[in-house]
Parts: sequence; structure tokens; C-alpha cells
Amino acid sequence: MMASRPILHLRYILPRINLKYSTAIQPSEVIEGKQETADLKHPDYFNVRNLFTVNDLFEARVHYGHKIGSLDERMSQYIYGNRLGHLIFDLDITAEYLRQALNITAHTAYRDGVILFFLRGAQNAHIVEKAALECGEFAHTRFWRGGIFTNANKQFGEATRLPDLCIFFNTLNNVLIQHTAIRDAAKMAIATIGVVDTNCNPNLITYPVPGNDDSPVAIQFYCKVFKSAILLGKEKRKEHHNRNKQ
Amino acid sequence: MANSRLEKIGTIYTRTKGLIDSGALKWIDRPLWYDLYEAFPPKEEPRFDREAFKKPIRNIFYEDDKIRALFHRNNKRLESQYQGEANAEKLYKEAIEMMSKERATRKEDDFISLSTEFKEAQNKDSKVTKVSLKNIFES
Repeated sequence: MMASRPILHLRYILPRINLKYSTAIQPSEVIEGKQETADLKHPDYFNVRNLFTVNDLFEARVHYGHKIGSLDERMSQYIYGNRLGHLIFDLDITAEYLRQALNITAHTAYRDGVILFFLRGAQNAHIVEKAALECGEFAHTRFWRGGIFTNANKQFGEATRLPDLCIFFNTLNNVLIQHTAIRDAAKMAIATIGVVDTNCNPNLITYPVPGNDDSPVAIQFYCKVFKSAILLGKEKRKEHHNRNKQ
Repeated sequence: MANSRLEKIGTIYTRTKGLIDSGALKWIDRPLWYDLYEAFPPKEEPRFDREAFKKPIRNIFYEDDKIRALFHRNNKRLESQYQGEANAEKLYKEAIEMMSKERATRKEDDFISLSTEFKEAQNKDSKVTKVSLKNIFES
């Protein structure tokens, strides 16, 4: 919905799994209420756990926070300590949260969800846009015009499909207040994943990932892991579709 | 789609669940993340008004910070001595020299004070308690 470039054709070829227009499930099979499929029973169906190690996080400088004066109190539970005025993240906690976020991303890609990457700040914007292009998803790294989510049908002049998952590589805009899209996603009931630094508010984000959101190396790392999680989900989807065909 | 846009009340899950339970939203029209949220709920509820878990922030210090502190103290002293005329490399070398000297002298001091104290204690012992080992069982 954001870009005018052609999207990955996979989306049209493959059936929607377990949802209204699914061809994989016969109408008689649809049972109301909680439906446990094999992929949801498995704690790590796409093996996203092996995408990174804590040492990779360390080398990508994910542990660096901001100075202690700018700390948001809601972030204090993710912090390891204060090294001479600078806050340091506890990477064991970060790894746990990041793995859960990657799992959700892979599942969303598997279920043919539209995933939208966000990042404000010119320095790292290109990295994120490139990553989105490479995995056939979308990116929004420019000024956020109000109402893109909340008034979409009017703004685009058509019935618009909103994204199913928003991934924020930083949650602040360039005047250091929270990105409006986080509030709008919560309004429109869209799940969010967000990298939250020590000066951010993690409350409205469904799956927060505590970590450094300023260094290009860190952004590159996040792009790499989220991209591979999406590709893992899509690969599995293709595999299952081929199996159903035969 | 029926939807509540009050993001400050509850979470995206509770709002959507309310719509499904009341019949305003059909279960088959549920958002894509709904099953995922139920299978893998977030570690903390994403509520707008979630209170901060106040964990005191500790300081991170290492054993070798003592050496660093000593080095920087010497560096500062030398800097004021030269009054900005010496270059950084020279200051660095001299500060290291000073530090190694200080450490060497302090070790000697420690050794001396330890040995003298030990001797004094021995003398005291012999003065205060006049017990002959031979007669220890005879009394």
C-alpha cells in the first residue's frame, strides 16, 4: 500500500492459510474458537533461534544505551547497569525478546501477512529500505503524514489493506518524540515490533526489543535478522504450498 | 471493520477479543496476529498505562579500574606540570613510568610494615604470656 513498486508475486499465488479466503481449508473444517495448528504448537517452528547469538548482538553494539539522564523509567528492567554515565543493556534479556519478535515475524510472513518496516533518520534509512526490498516487504522511512493508517481509505481513494505487522527499527522521530505510527497502529489494532532504546517508551509496542537504535551496525544487524526471519517464513509457505499441489 | 480506536484502554488483544466475544466481529475476520498473540503472548502486556518496573540501576566497575584511575591521576598531574607543552605520547609514557614506580614502592612499604608488625607482635606475645611449654601439663 505504501510503495508503487511491484510486490512479490508469492502473495497472489499462494493461498491464505487458516483465514477467510483460504483454499487450504474446506469451509466445513473451520471451527470457531481457538485453533491450534502444528506451527503454533511448536515453540520455534522456523528455527529463528539460530539466526544470531548473544556475541553477535555484542559485536553489533546492541548493548550501548544513551546517557543515564535521558533514561525512560519503563526501560530500567532491561538494563544491565551504568558504566561511567552510559547505560548498558542486558544482552541476555535482549536476546530473549528479539527471538520472540523474530518468531512472530516469521509466522506473519508464513501466513502471508504484509510487513512494514519503519525508521526515521536519514543516516540509516537506506539500509532499511534495501532490506525491505530484498525480502519483498515494505518500508516507510520518510515523514509520517497523519492519517495514513487511520484515514487510509480516504487518503488512497480505495479500500486499503493495512499492514499486518509493523516493525520499528527506531521508535522516535527526528524531534525525539514517539513515532505517530506507533499510536496509529495501536488504534487500528495492528501488531507492532519495536527496537526500544533507553530513552523510549515500550508500553504501546506489542513485542518490544530493548537495544541500541542509533548505530548503523546495529540497524544493519536488525535488518539482517528480520529479513532472514521473513525469508524463512516465506520459504516454509512455498514448501507447504507445493506439497498441497501434489 | 468494527473497531475501537481508543488505544489508551486495554491492549490490541483485549479490544479485538471484546469485539469477537460480543459478535461485532466474526471470528473468521479476526486480524492475522490474533492466533499468534494467543500462542505466543508478549512477556509484558502492551498496555498504554503499564507502570514502570522500577529496578535500581547499578554501577558497573571492574578490578582494573583502580589502575586506570591511578594512570589518569598521574596523567593530570603531569599535564599541569608541563602546562600543555608536552604532547600526548610523552605524557602517556611518563604517566605509565610514574605508575609503575608508585606500585613498586608501595609493595616494598607493605612488605616492611608487615614484617615489623609481625616482629612486634612476637615480642608482645613473649612479654605478656610467660608460659613455659615444659610445665604445661603439670599443675
